[in-house]
Amino acid sequence: MTFHTSKKAYYAAFIGPAVFIYACIIIFPVLYSLGLSFFNWNGYEKMEFVKLANYVRMFKDDVFLLGLRNNLLIVAVSIFGQLPLGFILAYILYRKMVKAQSFFESMIFLPITISAIVVAILWAQIFAPTGLYTTLIQRLTDNPRYIMAVAQDKQLAILPILFVVLWMYTGMYMVIFLASMQKISPSVIESAIIDGASEFQILMKIVAPSMSNILFTTAVFAIAGSLKSFDLIFAMTSGGPAHYTEVIAIYMYTNTFKYYNYGFGSAVSIVIVALSMGLITIAQKVYGFFEKKYE
Amino acid sequence: MKRVLGIILVLLAVGSLAFAQAQAETVDDGKVKLSMFHYLDLTDPVATANWDILLSTFEATYPEIELEIEYGFNEPYHDKLQAMAIANQLPDIMFLWPGKRTGMVTSAGKAKDLSPWLEGKLDGFSPTAVAAQGPNGEIFELPEQVTATHVMYTNEKLMAELGLTLPKTLDEMVAQGDVIRAAGYTPIAMTNGDGWQMQSCFLSALIDRTGGRKWMDSALAGDVSFADDEFINALNVIDVLAKNDMFSAGINTLNYGSALTEFVTGKAVYYIDGGWRVNNLNGELPADMVDYVTLNVFPSVPMENGQAASTAAVAGTGHGMNANLSDAEADAAFKWIWFYSGPVGSAIRQSFGALPAYKIPMPNDIDPLTVKLSEFVNNTPSGYVIDAVMDGEGMGVLHPALQELIFGTKTPEEVGAEYEAWVAANER
Repeated sequence: MTFHTSKKAYYAAFIGPAVFIYACIIIFPVLYSLGLSFFNWNGYEKMEFVKLANYVRMFKDDVFLLGLRNNLLIVAVSIFGQLPLGFILAYILYRKMVKAQSFFESMIFLPITISAIVVAILWAQIFAPTGLYTTLIQRLTDNPRYIMAVAQDKQLAILPILFVVLWMYTGMYMVIFLASMQKISPSVIESAIIDGASEFQILMKIVAPSMSNILFTTAVFAIAGSLKSFDLIFAMTSGGPAHYTEVIAIYMYTNTFKYYNYGFGSAVSIVIVALSMGLITIAQKVYGFFEKKYE
Repeated sequence: MKRVLGIILVLLAVGSLAFAQAQAETVDDGKVKLSMFHYLDLTDPVATANWDILLSTFEATYPEIELEIEYGFNEPYHDKLQAMAIANQLPDIMFLWPGKRTGMVTSAGKAKDLSPWLEGKLDGFSPTAVAAQGPNGEIFELPEQVTATHVMYTNEKLMAELGLTLPKTLDEMVAQGDVIRAAGYTPIAMTNGDGWQMQSCFLSALIDRTGGRKWMDSALAGDVSFADDEFINALNVIDVLAKNDMFSAGINTLNYGSALTEFVTGKAVYYIDGGWRVNNLNGELPADMVDYVTLNVFPSVPMENGQAASTAAVAGTGHGMNANLSDAEADAAFKWIWFYSGPVGSAIRQSFGALPAYKIPMPNDIDPLTVKLSEFVNNTPSGYVIDAVMDGEGMGVLHPALQELIFGTKTPEEVGAEYEAWVAANER
């Protein structure tokens, strides 16, 4: 056995099992789902090949389109809410603009350490018609029939969920950004201050450019996480009332596991993967643009 | 050296297997172990207390049978049962519905027909309870009770305080709304956050009033349509009540159980739910309130072409067994099924307020509400419960549509047309 062949054998031995497991639990299910998405199948009867009918039905279904809109709103809150807010909070703590940084750091990070189900139940109790917020307003206004109108409105019912999503995940991004900022050499910041740079200039000219990598990575997390949002929303509203807070992961779950439409559910899952990849590609392009700009 | 190590490993593996086998035999010695998936709200103190007595009595009577029980409630129960059915990992005993609600088990041949074990025993049951559940007369689950899904519980004391009497018509009911709300109370306590309550506990009874059983049979056969006047007239009643602010505030986002609390705490005059709620009311109503709570049906509605003053009823839920059980396991499983729905279990459940499907005399010390429920079921005509005869996926269309009807974003005609379109395309 030559040096090169033995090297290849070692590579295969070390990487092979991981590749095999990855193929079994990721690649094969995705390809199987893709294949299944062209069939009608209820799990036990014969499969029926239906070409693109599942995809056509999906894009004609108002419930799916509402779920897609809600998902895109969650993506928007993640990208334009969680990331900037997390970044600003991290910068405030990094530049020691407030006292008791450790306390704020812990408090802002705390929601992400709680189970999504617990968070969902907590906020559902607050927003419910018999919950804390509603009861408080009922007492203050002396109107026992007051209810939170937002939750009853098709266009606005998603707002409480967006708020909870923002509250829950911002802390995670803050910690990631803070850890990354702490890698910037303090001497660079000190030099900039001596040279008369303003706080805004430090932020935009020194901190932000050195964070471009991590911004891109967190954007990928935010997009992928937002599109597969399930646990929090399912526990909070199950997509109701009347599908007003539906997201595509719940839509997929309902069709697949409640109504046994395995082919249709697979088609929905493929759309989630495609959307995720599409949005991540856009994020990559934006990242490439800014990377060139700062080079 | 390698060979010696290999032999030692093989010996260890074989030894472990032998030990494990011996241990399993010891555990199983003389006992039949059965897995069970039971439908129970573990946060419900009345239901769990009842269940504990049932279990301890069964264990004392049949020490040779060991039950390993898993619990589920509401939608999570159905979701898990479906997943188990698809994966062919159903438990030995499971809680089933007589209609399509658990059709993924019964219609797919995954539950054993109990008829052979029930020979000579069916006379003990109410005839409605033991109607055939399969196309060939099969009985897949032995009903624990006959279930009236629509009861309008009424707080007579509150009604008297407000100077009201039981309304005879929809208009009279609506007219009471202003008086009740002005006094700070809710006219009709009801929840619809999960979507099924409005369909099962109200619309089913209304369609029996406006159409009747024959109309529903024709709708199932495709001879009439859910877009027809009969169905629309039933939907109109819900529409009128919603527009007149008669239901609990935020009904479409209220979780099941909130309306019960509203009624028990004396904040609502009427409360619409199923007859099964008598169990909870027996446990939770203040002692004096039990006397002035009456069980009624919703008043007469316009365009009644079906049965007047009717409720909706279905042969109750109960336990069934996995089709793959061996003869010995099936015999043991039936011992539980018979214990639960037969004379012994029925007497225990009756003492907690249930109205058993098995005919047993009503003891003198029974809760007054249970007596009232018995009279209600015996004296009230009944129609179909929609989700017991229609497909579950169609309920995924009807339930949100009913929620939108209550929100006022869909008209009764739109709801009827939407449901008819689904039924015509998928169910006939």
